[in-house]
Amino acid sequence: MPLAMLRVGETACIKEIVGGRTVKGKLTDLGFVSGKKIKIHRSSGGPLIVAIGDNRVALGRGMAHKVIVDKEGCEN
Amino acid sequence: MALNKSKRKNNEVKIALAGNPNSGKTTMFNELTGSRQHVGNWPGVTVEKKMGRASYQNYSLEVIDLPGTYSLGAYSDDEVVARDFLTTGDYDVVLNIINSSNLDRNLYFTVQLLEMGVDLIAVLNMADEAEKKGIKINKNKLAKMLGTSVVETVASRGRGIDKLLKETVQNRDLSEAALKIDYGREIEDLISEVLSMLREFNFTDQINQRWAAVKLIEHDPEAVKLLEREVGASKAKKIKSLIAGRELKAEDDFDNIIIDKKYEFINQVIAESVSRPAFDQEPENISDKIDKVITNKYLGIPIFMVVMWSIFKFTFTLGDPLIGYIETFFEAAGGWIGSLLAGAGVSPLISSFITDGIIGGVGSVLVFIPNIFLLFLAIGILEDSGYMSRAAYVMDKVMSKLGLHGKSFIPMIVGFGCNVPGVMATRTLDSKRDRIISILINPLMSCSARLPVYVVFAGALFPNHAGTVVFSLYALGIVMAVIMAGVFNKILFKGERSHFVMELPPYRIPTLKGVFIHMWEKVGAFIKKAGTIIFSVVVLIWVLANLPLGVEYASAESLIGQFGQLIAPLFKPLGFGSWQAASSLVFGILAKEVVVGTLGVVYAAGEGGLRAALTTNFSPLAAYSFLTMVLLYTPCIATLGAIKSETQSWKWTLVTASYLFVLAWIVAFVVYQGGMLIGLGA
Repeated sequence: MPLAMLRVGETACIKEIVGGRTVKGKLTDLGFVSGKKIKIHRSSGGPLIVAIGDNRVALGRGMAHKVIVDKEGCEN
Repeated sequence: MALNKSKRKNNEVKIALAGNPNSGKTTMFNELTGSRQHVGNWPGVTVEKKMGRASYQNYSLEVIDLPGTYSLGAYSDDEVVARDFLTTGDYDVVLNIINSSNLDRNLYFTVQLLEMGVDLIAVLNMADEAEKKGIKINKNKLAKMLGTSVVETVASRGRGIDKLLKETVQNRDLSEAALKIDYGREIEDLISEVLSMLREFNFTDQINQRWAAVKLIEHDPEAVKLLEREVGASKAKKIKSLIAGRELKAEDDFDNIIIDKKYEFINQVIAESVSRPAFDQEPENISDKIDKVITNKYLGIPIFMVVMWSIFKFTFTLGDPLIGYIETFFEAAGGWIGSLLAGAGVSPLISSFITDGIIGGVGSVLVFIPNIFLLFLAIGILEDSGYMSRAAYVMDKVMSKLGLHGKSFIPMIVGFGCNVPGVMATRTLDSKRDRIISILINPLMSCSARLPVYVVFAGALFPNHAGTVVFSLYALGIVMAVIMAGVFNKILFKGERSHFVMELPPYRIPTLKGVFIHMWEKVGAFIKKAGTIIFSVVVLIWVLANLPLGVEYASAESLIGQFGQLIAPLFKPLGFGSWQAASSLVFGILAKEVVVGTLGVVYAAGEGGLRAALTTNFSPLAAYSFLTMVLLYTPCIATLGAIKSETQSWKWTLVTASYLFVLAWIVAFVVYQGGMLIGLGA
């Protein structure tokens, strides 16, 4: 499922990033890589705030739809 | 690597600071160089190039602070600058500043540099924060696995700096082999094939060939361009089709595999060299708690408004008395020097040039230094504390209605200080569409140079409502910016979209040193502007006011008066058709604050006399119409210059200059004629 569909407080693991080179590159730069655990801190209409490792990242809904996550089976 | 090392004296070392944003890179730069720094521009772009000097024992170090970047992917102008410098620049050692408590992401950049063969020292900065989190890093192990030296520092407290300098000096001539990551058989085989083709085609050995091969396999556009330049299109096509053919058979896109392998390598490095408490529970830290309030759905925008309001209150309450002192100083200096010159028998013409022209003119500009100083102090605190990115988050909802995203709000805030850095701040936006729209609307943010015009008029014509009048102009600027952003979004860039993704760094207490250095840079730039552009304008006005020879200073018969008369009819429907008002607007394009100076000259009045002159020459309605004109019309030359160099386009520069004039005319027309209709004209 896309990251955008998770609720506040939920945790999931990144499966893949779909989208063009720029989208993928920008997300990878900020640590969005497959296997990474991600937690939703805020999701209220506007952009999301997620925790990925120790980082907090704000990302727009459009971007959040390009991050495909899975609620089970995290590597780390 | 660093194959471009040019010959330097034995005791000279050239180092570059590179690293992720929020890794403490700028703090490190300030710590290393102290006040011995200056800001220039990278050739061709207006990205700031910060350079400084440091010394260690008998070595002299030249330090360059590269823009913060997450990778060598180069998605914005900032990142392109950093990447170009790192690939082809002239340096001895790179200090790769790493946020110790955020190793995996920071190492992603480090690994890319090492693969390229950059000679670097891995600087584990913010070591204290990592310690607090219970993160223990085995430096020797890390150094061994990465094949580079590792130094631990806390730049904000000066810890480890001496050791870092020692290491830097020792490593200045070192040339380490590039890091090799095993990309798995499929890709490794392909790398060997590409490498042999590159050799066959005599591809340059000025850059690491394995790195180039990996980049080509990733379809990196810059690498492809380089290849085409080096070996020609037909040979480049052979390599490209080899890669494309192989990728079709592969399970996944090659760039995905390469990214995964890089992270796999990093995870392995971290597993072996770092121990940290189990991470399962994701403890909520202080920043998260603050964020719960600051980015709250309902509280976010009110808090943002209060912050903005406080900044203005702070700037103007503290700044205004200081402005008074500076004004008094220049008036006194003008009077004193004037009488001195008269006493020495200097001709009245030269005496007037010095007192009215130079001292009066430049003085009228320098009086804003306190405001600019305080505004940039406040902006610096917002940036360094981490609030700025939250403001961008909070404003995203509003901005996205205009087709922009939250990040575009930062240049607008900076624009209140001065539109030149405001326009320059747009370079952190990575979509061209966002940049252009943000640049086009930036001049609508009422910069501090326009304030004196408001203050003089409001004081003269609306003595009881001066504050409200000034505030309404700021608000009008914002409203117009909102409307125009919507319009540009509709007509210029239909359908294009951008991606909002932004790191929210942990909140930090800004360091005094960092904030002051930041502020000083901006104020220094303003003083330089006052000293050059504004000085020349002041001289020009004075000359035009005295020609043709023998004419009464700044009278209707002078050149300035004649020119004013020529264009005055254009402003008649707006309520201020006098040649004096017209010529002040013309000179205002050279620098907005000059409007006041020009009016002072053409009404041949001093500071106090100007108020009286305005009261007799403007009705309140005409004055307000004039102020909307000053707020909205064509930005000053310095801003237009910044727009030209940021957009690299005369088209956008001219679009900005002309649409703003038309907009200003229309709004002033509506204000004046509308006001007349409802009977405010009396």
